[in-house]
Amino acid sequence: MSARRLVGVAAGLAMGLTAMTGCGAGDEPSAGDLGGKIEGKVSIQTWALKPKFTDYVEGVIADFEKENPGVEVTWLDQPGDGYDQKVLTQASSGDLPDVTNLPPDFALPLAQQDQLLDLEDADVDLEKTYVEGGLQGYRYDGLDGTYGYPWYLGTDVNYWNKDMLTKNGLDPANLPTDLDSLIEQARTLKEKSGGKVYLMTRKPGLNDLQQADVPIFDEDGTELTFNTPEAVELVQKYADAYADGLLPKDILTDTFQGNAELYNQEKAAWTTGSANISGLEEANPALAKGTEISAAFGDGPLYVQGLSVNAKSKNLAAANALAQFVTNPDNQREFAKLAPGVYPSTIASQEDPYFTEDDGSVAAKAKVTGLKTLTTAIPNNPKVSPAMSTIIDQQIALAISGDATPQEALDKAVEECNKLLTQ
Amino acid sequence: MTDTKRTISRVREHKWFTPWLLVAPATLWLCVFNLYPAMNTVYMAFTNKKPLGGGEFVGLANFERMLDDDQLLYALTNSVLYMLVCVPLLTMLPLLLAVLVEKKLPGLTFLRVAFYTPVVASAVVVALIWNWMLDDRGAINAILQALKVVQEPLPFLTDRWLLLFSAISLTVWKGLGYYMIIYLSALGNVGRELHEAAAVDGAGPVRRFWSITVPGVRGTMLLITILITVSSLRVFSELFVMTGGTGGPGGRVSSVVMLIQMYSTGFTGHLGYASALSLLLFVLTLVPMVLLARLNRKDA
Repeated sequence: MSARRLVGVAAGLAMGLTAMTGCGAGDEPSAGDLGGKIEGKVSIQTWALKPKFTDYVEGVIADFEKENPGVEVTWLDQPGDGYDQKVLTQASSGDLPDVTNLPPDFALPLAQQDQLLDLEDADVDLEKTYVEGGLQGYRYDGLDGTYGYPWYLGTDVNYWNKDMLTKNGLDPANLPTDLDSLIEQARTLKEKSGGKVYLMTRKPGLNDLQQADVPIFDEDGTELTFNTPEAVELVQKYADAYADGLLPKDILTDTFQGNAELYNQEKAAWTTGSANISGLEEANPALAKGTEISAAFGDGPLYVQGLSVNAKSKNLAAANALAQFVTNPDNQREFAKLAPGVYPSTIASQEDPYFTEDDGSVAAKAKVTGLKTLTTAIPNNPKVSPAMSTIIDQQIALAISGDATPQEALDKAVEECNKLLTQ
Repeated sequence: MTDTKRTISRVREHKWFTPWLLVAPATLWLCVFNLYPAMNTVYMAFTNKKPLGGGEFVGLANFERMLDDDQLLYALTNSVLYMLVCVPLLTMLPLLLAVLVEKKLPGLTFLRVAFYTPVVASAVVVALIWNWMLDDRGAINAILQALKVVQEPLPFLTDRWLLLFSAISLTVWKGLGYYMIIYLSALGNVGRELHEAAAVDGAGPVRRFWSITVPGVRGTMLLITILITVSSLRVFSELFVMTGGTGGPGGRVSSVVMLIQMYSTGFTGHLGYASALSLLLFVLTLVPMVLLARLNRKDA
């Protein structure tokens, strides 16, 4: 029996110990000269572009090498899942590639650790080259400089099931344009369909508060401040709609199928999605043809991807030149043409007829609508960490369930997130 | 010299470090992947370590923060409830099943396979299937409404207590087959002659179960109790999947492991606090194990 106890205790110890984790740090290489000669070996890391865009990326690299004899580019492409962990490992061990695709929230902690090149030091007029929203993604409160060349951009548009709206007493020519009209039409749809289908199928998030002009942070960016009367009013509207059965019950825990999936299955008449409708065309071709597109409510969200240069790169000049080359208007335009729903971040590409011409198809309407939204769209605040997002989501769910008032829930979310911000 | 003598001689010729060489790979593995991370976790629990930067010594600040963490209180309550419900159910029900399927009756092979099937299925896949069954428009609510048992769908996946007990039900259902197999092997060691003698003396099946079967598998029962206690305190998959990774409204259906995951994720992860939570979980796991071991020693 004592041997069994020993085995039990040992097994418990092993199980407990394996629950614990650790991490380390490595050596830092010495940095090259930004004004030096463009030559030598440089590496560029992208995020989930293989195999769909292999030919494109290899073509861009070949062009760069042709333009800069003496430069040898190594391309690394990381899988979609676990990219943050991969970059973290590279950053903490000093193995960050010379040029890395980093969204703004990944770039922020690296910039704070002086691992990324401040592009204000580079020989480029950022304001004249890249759109404001893209640059804004890589400029952070409390930190001087710009830490990424904006690459490709994305936003959301509204998808509406015209047939479902018409059958349930709604007019596709008179679509909701704000939360109030959305709730009003959701009520009509519920009553006419006998509760069989929904219009609204998601709870609000920080993005919705941002769209409603709620200040997420104070002016210094040091404290979260989204528990304003406007935010309380917005969450209360959702709570009332939920209590009236206008939203699926399971949205509180995100265990429901998701608004896009419910839309594809024609169980919901509205969803938001990227300006690329190919996913819908594949899942439900008939619905894709019967979809009406409208601009996102408010200013619309802005999803930014960019290329950051490793400040410690041994070939800083070549790395910087490569990042500029990949994000130049020609290359961005070609990339955006290959990847529907994606827009270039360069000012010179915005007038390209490919993005502005509408041939009357649903896909073209989505593309043109998305482009218009990009002029006003706001990037998410990169200071909101995954833990903060979870806490905010939990508290908004609590308010919508009616177990806390919106004021109590938002106050609690702000309090907990501010604790995380200062620790 | 006979063959046996030659063999003994060869064994004696081995150097003093031979046993160490044999255990070296496993020891190295244990040190690198268990011992070092564990020691590092203890160290980090007293710092403000982040994935990039931080690492300054902050004394007991992370532990003080626990006292003011509502979510931790919810998580601990959930873990203890999980343990209190799972331990008796998963200690007794698999034993009853094992007694049932131990008998040599036609069709029992099918039952054995049926009871064991959930064990080999992935916890995440099983939790997703349960989600589909339990959701607002899932099979369970449809049946309850069709039978007029309820008017409105029951909020299995949104109400705090229903969600918690749905997850507990899943754990119990999934664990039955696993512990049944362990009990089956233990039941093989309980002498059939004891049952026959007791039957001759007039003891019924219930009396024989409590007086012969249960004492006969007492050691196994203790092992199973320890295993269930540890796994209940460390529950993750069921709650994570059934709450869509959110921990439920207000984070009230979280577990301690979910909190560790939440705080340690991402570029701005709070590794110091997550390490302190790991340490707390480690201590919490040890306490019931030591108590059970002592209890067993007293009874022995």
